[in-house]
Amino acid sequence: MLSVSGLTKTYGDVEAVRGISFDVDDGEVFGLVGPNGAGKTSTLKTLAGLLEPTSGSVVVNGYDSTDPEMRRTLGFLPEDSPLYEDMTPRSYLRFFADLYDVPRETADDRIAAALDRLALDVRDRPVGDFSKGMKRKVAIARSLVNDPDVLVYDEPASGLDPTTTNVVVEFTRELAERGKTVVFSAHDLYHVESVCDRVAIVSNGEIAAQGTLADIRADHGRVEYHVFADVPLDGATEVEPGRYRLAVESMAGVEDARVRAADAGGELVDIRTRESTLEDVFLAVTGGEA
Amino acid sequence: MTPRRTLRVARWEATRGVSGVDRRTAVLLAVALLVLAALAPLLVAFAPTPGAGVYRVAVADGDPYRAPVDATPQLRAVDPGANAVASGRADVAIGAGGVRIADTEKGRAALATFRDAVTAYNDRLMASEGDQAAAFPVVVNLTYVERSAVRVGGTAGSGDGSSGASGTTTGATSAGTTSAGTTSATTTSGTTTSATTTSATSETATSATSETAAPDGERPGSGGDGPATPSDITPPFPLRSLLYAFVFLLPLNVVIQAYGSSVIDERIDRRGEPLLVSPASRGDIVVGKALPYFLGAVAVTAVVAAAVGAGVRSVVALLPLAGLFLGVTFLGALFARSYKELTFVTVTVSVGLMAYAFVPAVFTEVHPIAAISPLSVVVRDIRGDPFSLGAFLLATAPVALAAAVCYGLGLGVYREEDLFTQKRLPAKALDALAAPLSSAWRVGLWTAAFVPFVLIAELFAVAALFVVPEAFAIPVVLALVALVEEAAKSLHVYAGFANARFPDTDRVALAVGVAAGVGFFVGEKLLLLTRLVDLPNVAVGGAAFGGVELGVGSLALLVAPLALHVAAATTSALGARRGRRWYALAFCCAVGLHLAYDYAVVSVLG
Repeated sequence: MLSVSGLTKTYGDVEAVRGISFDVDDGEVFGLVGPNGAGKTSTLKTLAGLLEPTSGSVVVNGYDSTDPEMRRTLGFLPEDSPLYEDMTPRSYLRFFADLYDVPRETADDRIAAALDRLALDVRDRPVGDFSKGMKRKVAIARSLVNDPDVLVYDEPASGLDPTTTNVVVEFTRELAERGKTVVFSAHDLYHVESVCDRVAIVSNGEIAAQGTLADIRADHGRVEYHVFADVPLDGATEVEPGRYRLAVESMAGVEDARVRAADAGGELVDIRTRESTLEDVFLAVTGGEA
Repeated sequence: MTPRRTLRVARWEATRGVSGVDRRTAVLLAVALLVLAALAPLLVAFAPTPGAGVYRVAVADGDPYRAPVDATPQLRAVDPGANAVASGRADVAIGAGGVRIADTEKGRAALATFRDAVTAYNDRLMASEGDQAAAFPVVVNLTYVERSAVRVGGTAGSGDGSSGASGTTTGATSAGTTSAGTTSATTTSGTTTSATTTSATSETATSATSETAAPDGERPGSGGDGPATPSDITPPFPLRSLLYAFVFLLPLNVVIQAYGSSVIDERIDRRGEPLLVSPASRGDIVVGKALPYFLGAVAVTAVVAAAVGAGVRSVVALLPLAGLFLGVTFLGALFARSYKELTFVTVTVSVGLMAYAFVPAVFTEVHPIAAISPLSVVVRDIRGDPFSLGAFLLATAPVALAAAVCYGLGLGVYREEDLFTQKRLPAKALDALAAPLSSAWRVGLWTAAFVPFVLIAELFAVAALFVVPEAFAIPVVLALVALVEEAAKSLHVYAGFANARFPDTDRVALAVGVAAGVGFFVGEKLLLLTRLVDLPNVAVGGAAFGGVELGVGSLALLVAPLALHVAAATTSALGARRGRRWYALAFCCAVGLHLAYDYAVVSVLG
């Protein structure tokens, strides 16, 4: 459905994207995460045909990304919601539907369905009067007027309130369930974890880690054991009176803690296992950049 | 490009443009346009005459001089009575005792105007005679020659007509010069044709034939020796041309303001980004957005043309100008970083293009230099004067091609990477120049495409300097020509290297330099358009365009300009690949080389 191979994009002397490769299947949600300036937006804009690759290739639904025909099968949502503020949502969306050669009746149905699902009831007032969340919903609806097979969303929930964010995130998941291929970037790793089937962590224009969340955790995460003792241990933190916590990375460490507690006249009262979150992996992979 | 999508974008742009204006503003705009359309014919029909009725002439109703006075707006007939001049009621009095004038500056000016009025009246009478050979038995061609010293007196030639008989001006006109206490007379011109042939073809041809005697009046110290030098022939004040220029150009300025705002609106907050992702091509978007404004300009031009009595030819002649207004505004709006910068750009566009179209057009009735302006076609069309296809092409082709080049350059940067960047204006201009360059072949092609701008710049330089003494004007024109042509051959090459469009090697620099030189040489043949209206025969025009003619007829002379262009362009290209300072240095060398060549050409041409 979507294949990126050796994608490189340079601006003058700056190499924003360096040999990125990944594939996304039908109905899959693929997330791009990474710090600011990592090359996510450049990658997404190249997927959308807005930028020409310096080298490498992007194939969407069998079309090269530089092929104008590719645009018919793709919906793009930029990071901001650049709308013509003097237009109403209805006229704005109809205009874009026209450009995609969507018959008026079909377009009206799609527009109504999208706006209903996104809970945008105000449809005949100029967009300039809208809040940021409402504008975002109009922009999302625009990305759907041509009923695309592939959706490329750049920070779809950026700057939105929690309620609107949830609507957008749930809607993204629904789109994938309807068979759409979704590639999107996000800063909020919680949403990536909750929506994405697979993730690529981008750092300095390169993919530092890629795969399912489980794979990435396995490759780049770690398991920590938090042991709690009733006596003070070297390196332990007192979390409550008479209760000390020590983090160790292996069962050998746990055994060592048990021996030290016994030597001190106490014992281990609790052991808990903690797996790395995507945020931990992200910080580990990117060296702490955000 | 897809016509359906282009039209869809155009319809959307028109709808947005209309809906973006509130009702009150729309009404005010409509009223302003209607008032302009209504005023245009009135202004043209009842054009105010400077100084109407300023000179009072005491002349009786039945006097033969009454008719010339009535026919001249500056003169106003008053009751002759007694002592009309002495009492201050008249500046000039005509009676049985002759002509009397007030001994004042105004009195003398009134007499001069009165004399001109009588001469013009007589000419009109003679022109209406059936037998023109009898009416104008002698026709004199006057040719202006440079007068190198101050004239202090001494004339030869008749024609003052004081005898009241039919008089003719001979061709011999002398100008006395004084130098170190000695006086010499120099014959400056004079060609007398046969008595039966009318051959007044020159721009300055005239005849002085008296039916009613043009009086000298009783001026203290005048001695009755009325001047008869060519400098006495004054051109008509081109008020109508000026008015036409005004009413046609004014609406275009309103149109480009709206268009420029619309283009920059696409760039603010990246509003145009979704359009770039849609199936509409860049061409669809750019043409679709420009179309409503172009059609609006055409509609307004057509309305104004109808109002002032101009025909379809006038409207067609102005289409390229409207296109250039829009094209330059389009580029400016792509380069500007804010509405504030856009205002600067549109004002610059307005002033520059208005000057190009307006200033020469004012001289439509006076000088062939006016032929460079599309408005000259309009003026001639309204006056019913014939104009050749060549003149039409000279007035419109460079402007049309320049408009096309503007849109070509703009299309190159109408893409995500360039549209939304906030570079400084010169840097964006260089991006636009570099964008279409991907090979030496394209460098040559675009160099040829820049020639219309060269032509416009050179024509404008000629138009601006043709009234300046040639001793000053010709060197300045030569320098401007060298600067403009070398810039046209090298700026985009520099932009190409600066934007890493070519490999940074001397070999590539040589290749693109040669391509630019050859491209310019080919495109330069467009300058031959100037021959269609005899522009090279204007002295400064010869300096600017004379060199082009060398390329015609002789192989050696054909190769000479080609060699110049290739050598100069290659010099600049070799500098351009090494960076800005080297480019500046190489550019100066190229200009120097060009200047030396042009100086040699002008010297050869004499």
